Amino acid sequence: MATFPEYIAQNEERDGVRFSWNVWPSSRLEATRMVVPVAALFTPLKERPDLPPIQYEPVLCSRATCRAVLNPLCQVDYRAKLWACNFCYQRNQFPPSYSGISEVNQPAELLPQFSTIEYVVQRGPQMPLVFLYVVDTCMEEEDLQALKESLQMSLSLLPPTALVGLITFGRIVHVHELGCEGISKSYVFKGTKDLSAKQLQEMLGLAKPAASSQGRGSSSPRPRGNPAAARERQPLNGSGCARRFLQPVQKVDMNLTDLLGELQRDSWPVVQGKRPLRSLGVAMSIAVGLLECTFPNTGARIMTFIGGPATQGPGMVVGDELKIPIRSWHDIEKDNAKFMKKAAKHYEALASRASASGHVMDIYACALDQTGLLEMKCCANNTGGYMVMADSFNTSLFKQTFQRVFSKDVQGSFKMAFAATLEVKTSRELKVSGAIGPCVSLNAKGPCVSENEIGSGGTCQWKMCGLDPGTTLALYFEVVNQHNAPIPQGGRGALQFVTQYQHASGQRRIRVTTIARNWADAQTQIQSIAASFDQEAAAILMARLAVQRAETEEGPDVLRWLDRQLIRLCQKFGDYHKDDPNSFRFSETFSLYPQFMFHLRRSPFLQVFNNSPDESSYYRHQFNRHELTQALIMIQPVLYAYSFQGPPEPVLLDSSSILPDRILLMDTFFQILIYHGETVSQWRKAGYQEMAEYENFRHLLQAPVDDAQELLHSRFPMPRYIDTEHGGSQARFLLSKVNPSQTHNNMYAWGQESGAPILTDDVSLQVFMDHLKKLAVSSAA
Amino acid sequence: PAYPQGPTSLTDSPASQDLLGPTGYQQYSQPFPSLSQLSAALGGLSGVPELEVEALRPLNLLQERNLLPPRPLEAPEPNLSSELKKVNCSPQTFRCTLTSIPQTQALLNKARLPLGLLLHPFRDLEQLPVITSNTIVRCRYCRTYINPFVTFLDQRRWKCNLCYRVNDVPDEFMYNPVTRSYGEPHKRPEVQNATVEFIASSDYMLRPPQPAVYLFVLDVSHSAVESGYLKYFCESLLENLDKLPGDSRTKVGFLTFDSSVHFYNLQGGLSQPQMLVVTDIDDVFIPSHDSLMVNWKESKELIKDLLTSLPATFSQSRETHSALGPALQAAFKLMSPTGGRVSVFQTQLPTLGAGSLQSREDPSQRASAKGVQHLGPATDFYKKFALDCSGQQIGVDLFLLSSQYADLASLACISKYSAGSIFYYPSFHHIHNPAQLEMFQKDLERYLSRKMGFEAVMRIRCTKGLSIHTFHGNFFVRSTDLLSLANVNPDSAFAVQMSIDDSLVDSSLACFQAALLYTSSKGKRRIRVHTLCLPVVNQLSDVYAGADVQAITCLLANMAIDRSVSSSLLDARDALTNAAVDFVSAYKNNVSNLQQSGLVVPAVMRLFPLYILSLLKQKAFRTGTSTRLDERVFAMCEFKTQPLQQLMRMVHPDLYRLDNMSDQGALHLNDTLVPQPPLLHLSAERLSRDGAFLMDCGSVFYLWIGKCCNEMFIRDVLDYPNYASIPPNMNCIPELQTLLSERVRAFLDWLQDNRAFSSIVHIVKDDASAKATFFQHLVEDRSESASSYCEFLQHIQQQVP
Ligand SMILES: [Zn+2]
Ligand SMILES: [Zn+2]
Repeated sequence: MATFPEYIAQNEERDGVRFSWNVWPSSRLEATRMVVPVAALFTPLKERPDLPPIQYEPVLCSRATCRAVLNPLCQVDYRAKLWACNFCYQRNQFPPSYSGISEVNQPAELLPQFSTIEYVVQRGPQMPLVFLYVVDTCMEEEDLQALKESLQMSLSLLPPTALVGLITFGRIVHVHELGCEGISKSYVFKGTKDLSAKQLQEMLGLAKPAASSQGRGSSSPRPRGNPAAARERQPLNGSGCARRFLQPVQKVDMNLTDLLGELQRDSWPVVQGKRPLRSLGVAMSIAVGLLECTFPNTGARIMTFIGGPATQGPGMVVGDELKIPIRSWHDIEKDNAKFMKKAAKHYEALASRASASGHVMDIYACALDQTGLLEMKCCANNTGGYMVMADSFNTSLFKQTFQRVFSKDVQGSFKMAFAATLEVKTSRELKVSGAIGPCVSLNAKGPCVSENEIGSGGTCQWKMCGLDPGTTLALYFEVVNQHNAPIPQGGRGALQFVTQYQHASGQRRIRVTTIARNWADAQTQIQSIAASFDQEAAAILMARLAVQRAETEEGPDVLRWLDRQLIRLCQKFGDYHKDDPNSFRFSETFSLYPQFMFHLRRSPFLQVFNNSPDESSYYRHQFNRHELTQALIMIQPVLYAYSFQGPPEPVLLDSSSILPDRILLMDTFFQILIYHGETVSQWRKAGYQEMAEYENFRHLLQAPVDDAQELLHSRFPMPRYIDTEHGGSQARFLLSKVNPSQTHNNMYAWGQESGAPILTDDVSLQVFMDHLKKLAVSSAA
Repeated sequence: PAYPQGPTSLTDSPASQDLLGPTGYQQYSQPFPSLSQLSAALGGLSGVPELEVEALRPLNLLQERNLLPPRPLEAPEPNLSSELKKVNCSPQTFRCTLTSIPQTQALLNKARLPLGLLLHPFRDLEQLPVITSNTIVRCRYCRTYINPFVTFLDQRRWKCNLCYRVNDVPDEFMYNPVTRSYGEPHKRPEVQNATVEFIASSDYMLRPPQPAVYLFVLDVSHSAVESGYLKYFCESLLENLDKLPGDSRTKVGFLTFDSSVHFYNLQGGLSQPQMLVVTDIDDVFIPSHDSLMVNWKESKELIKDLLTSLPATFSQSRETHSALGPALQAAFKLMSPTGGRVSVFQTQLPTLGAGSLQSREDPSQRASAKGVQHLGPATDFYKKFALDCSGQQIGVDLFLLSSQYADLASLACISKYSAGSIFYYPSFHHIHNPAQLEMFQKDLERYLSRKMGFEAVMRIRCTKGLSIHTFHGNFFVRSTDLLSLANVNPDSAFAVQMSIDDSLVDSSLACFQAALLYTSSKGKRRIRVHTLCLPVVNQLSDVYAGADVQAITCLLANMAIDRSVSSSLLDARDALTNAAVDFVSAYKNNVSNLQQSGLVVPAVMRLFPLYILSLLKQKAFRTGTSTRLDERVFAMCEFKTQPLQQLMRMVHPDLYRLDNMSDQGALHLNDTLVPQPPLLHLSAERLSRDGAFLMDCGSVFYLWIGKCCNEMFIRDVLDYPNYASIPPNMNCIPELQTLLSERVRAFLDWLQDNRAFSSIVHIVKDDASAKATFFQHLVEDRSESASSYCEFLQHIQQQVP
């Protein structure tokens, strides 16, 4: 039998799932005493290039309230051609096409290695992919030029049949008609007036012709000729009309390239002391409206590129007076953010319209100051869109990141998937409480739905308009089995995740993952439950809960809640004598967990005051969508040391790791930082690396750079790259992350230790742990 | 903002200034008549008895059958001294209904003739003295510009001929730039010419002169595309682009509209024009800051690209609606900062947004003898719009090319109150109606290249005692004697009605001065001043002797149009008939001492009843014949704005026989012999089947070919072997090297000369189709619904008490 870490890795590899507990407490009461709920991090489209595409449709349980998919856990009677649903125990007849099955001739979905399987739906039309670019033109010439080049480049990355559209905005919003000859054409809209989908439809001429002429009611002469013939020449049904604005790349490639090339900065003069008038809210509303009425329930990305905050119309986040700055956390705390609530409401409404149509909204915000990500966050968060933040479009951060949006898998398909729904089925002892991640509830009630809501709850189905192989949801469950109704010996709880989505190739696919875990009686088998603890998964699952709370609750309350959970966990699973902190011991499966919590408390996901509201929104966005490893790096950055003493090695994220003869490479997910220790830095300044006799020093300098490049090239979004040294101003990024084991408060006490003191009043990990132990063992707690 | 008054103290400027400075006088090509100042002051009394006797010769119209002069009627010469006649304002510019002004209102009332002026103030002139001078000399009391009819009391003082007050002669005026001598103020060009133009100083500006700005607003709806006008408009503008008056600052812009409004970004540097579509027509806005009205030189290539691409861009349009009102609102917003000219091309009834209209015409009522309804606007939207435009110095011209009723009565307001022009092409279709197409093209050529004045105001002053009470034309009356003209063009005329408030007993002369202040297309502020001088008389016979029957007819037509709108068409018709009746009675009772029976009028007024009858048969006034409402309204607009000569050719065309022209009386012009065939009465009995007749209606020439017309004429002039082979819809005279062809063409060319718009030629065959086009102009004949000339005379006679 494999160890738990091996088992966990295997399951993650095969099913894209990590549970907080891999053995489940068998009663509701015991489950709540585990402190960390039974929950899973699920990556629905985890890359599985080895999965064979199944060219038929899944077989469903015939019980109307169940509809679970046939899976390896089902009992099969090959002679009677019956199978028993492992969720509801319904006995089902196999469909006629399965008449040939037998013990030796099993369909793939019954094989244990296909606990995760993917079906390719054959019926229905091939869906086009739609990419709608929404481009701000209020920015510096240099920025706009860089953005234009990136957009032009992206056209070459799109599949030739993908449909593209272009909306640009400044004071005025332009919806560009594509493929015009002789005269380019755009429909223009005021940035101060929101339009309903219906109004927009009419104004863009997308409505059915009969309806539109009736609507405008008049008895003026109709065009001559047979109307049917006329319609044939120029198709006027919804999608036909839409073709003017959304056309296949292969057809309008040149035209759109020219159009982008001609794009000019917003021409309206900006008076000294004013911000340009930027109609972002209306532009996004028009984008949503355009796709809503032309391609509902088809994979589409609305990619919005923003050079500054919305300054007029619905969705404005700041006025045009420069002397009044955009809201800060301080303003928000004082309830002094004049536009925030109204703007957020506008974008929330857009996000829910987009997600109802299955459309993704990406936000690429490149500006030195805030652009209103706080208000707009739900657009990306609720639709599975990307949120990218950079100082300028003319940075490799933006350029590379944007290019990576279009990265492809080995089959040459985009790694992005669209318009997905995830359905969770549970066996009777379990119910699903909710999900946290880039999804919205589809509000589907059913027997699997718990009354205890966590995150987006009250449903067993969620919509994920955009997802990629890394998109990860946190799913929380409730054990509902009563204490006095024990699980039969050897009984297993089961879950099934059914993800239906539009593959980038245009196919509709269904991925089904069926999972089972053992039940254990917490009173008698607490050890086996404790041994099944996945502290990494648990840390992220708890962190998502904490971040979720932080969106609505005051910071200190969240920290208190987090501390209480940690203390309770220590109390439950720690080994100690009451009131003797020194006696406290934690088994290896829990040993890292307090440290994760320590760093989580200090992380930008929970600490807002060193960040702008936009930054907080941005960090939380990334945290809530990425898979476990990435999320862990976000919480607890990784630090590698490079020195002549040996090969590069991971070192403690601690100020004691900062030594003069070391180079450190820190990966915070958002930043890749190389820090040259004092001595190394001096050598570098002296230029030793240029000298042949110090080649090994050159190699030492190069090693972290190479490693950094690898990270920079693989991560999405691309991290900020910082090269700094002892005493360098950017060294502060490192110093703010490491555990302040040596601070100006205690350095003298530590005597001749060689670490670098940190100027901070934060408690060190040591102090934190001491405190934790004290509280955990306290009989008063 | 009022007309800018010059500095109150004109004599303030220091005398020692160098008057020879480089901003001196422009060259004159015209020699100045040497005119004695005293004779100018005393002139006007030296009557010419023989002429007067002829003018007053009583004529019995019931007996006299040949009333027409051999050549088209000329304006009567005022009874002035020869010196004054020489310098007086040209009748083509300034004409008075009575060239001898009655001394009192009582005398005017007795004459039963209207007193008024007809002006054509900005007409193209071959020679115009232009004066650049530091001081524009004006009467300090009434602001009259110094003119040939003032009196110099001595070297240093002049007496105003309008208010009779005495002014100082400024020092600068003492120098004569033409003779380069000092001390001859009466020889200055201002005093030698009744028409002069001053380059105005900044005193005459409310803001720096704006560039010439032209905005074209084009209907591109289905009906517009169907009519085919767009292609020809674009072609014409492409051809005439370089002729648009202006300088390096000139700006051009385009708007198109159907159910939405389309702007065009023509910013230099773009690879192709960008169309910006505003579909929110209830809230039209300007979608770009500075790229919609562009410098025509910098964006010339884009403008050409646009004009080349526009027709194809809309060729598939299925938009049947017309959002004219919103398009106009957009035009206003675009033009507000600068003012300028907006040219609107519309092909149907506006159906969407502000200013949308409903059809008001009932075709079954067209021929009704009952009153004609809907001659006035259905909404005040267009008038309000025009007044807003006028306030921002925007003139709006309307080209209506419609096959259906488009409610011109409402639409015309956009031009009427903004000093614009109105063009109408009923049943325009580029294939089915080649004649209209040709007319449209010719009109466009003139329209696009004609001189333009911007930000203009015109003030008409008259001798103390006289006052103006009613104005006719397209403008906005800003104050009692000040007309606001956002645009002024060389083809528009005006008329005013006057009354005599105080007896003119103190003077033998009455003077009228029209001063037009405008910004030229080259950005210069200029003032064009016309001064007319007429004698004052105290005898009714003298009043009649000086009557200008054509001016009277035109003024009456203008008055009748006002009456049609304010009261009714029938009222207006009665008023016209009564004018003839009243005049005949007044003459009979007061002047004619012969107790002659019949219908007696003085010779000078012998055409009056004929002209009145002609008016009654015009589209504007006729009843009983099916007349489309828009065509009627357009005819009414024409009366209000066309210059007198053009109007008279419309009302009473000139008819000539061409097939038997002789060299007798022919003119020799530049080696060309121009025959001068005699005028014929407009009656079918003057035609003959074996002849070819030319009818000059002003904008159209009809060449009627009789069924038995001489085949040599047909061959030599039309290049067809015989009558039968002449195609229908022929509308040009081929350039053949035959004597006959050359004669005919020389004559046509000569008629065409000095006409602003080229006329088109219709060859009309003697068949049923000629009825509508040609025979309707034979006003002396009876038609289905209107009486013949003889019947009309009898009717008048019956009415005379
Ligand atoms: Zn089932
Ligand atoms: Zn005066």
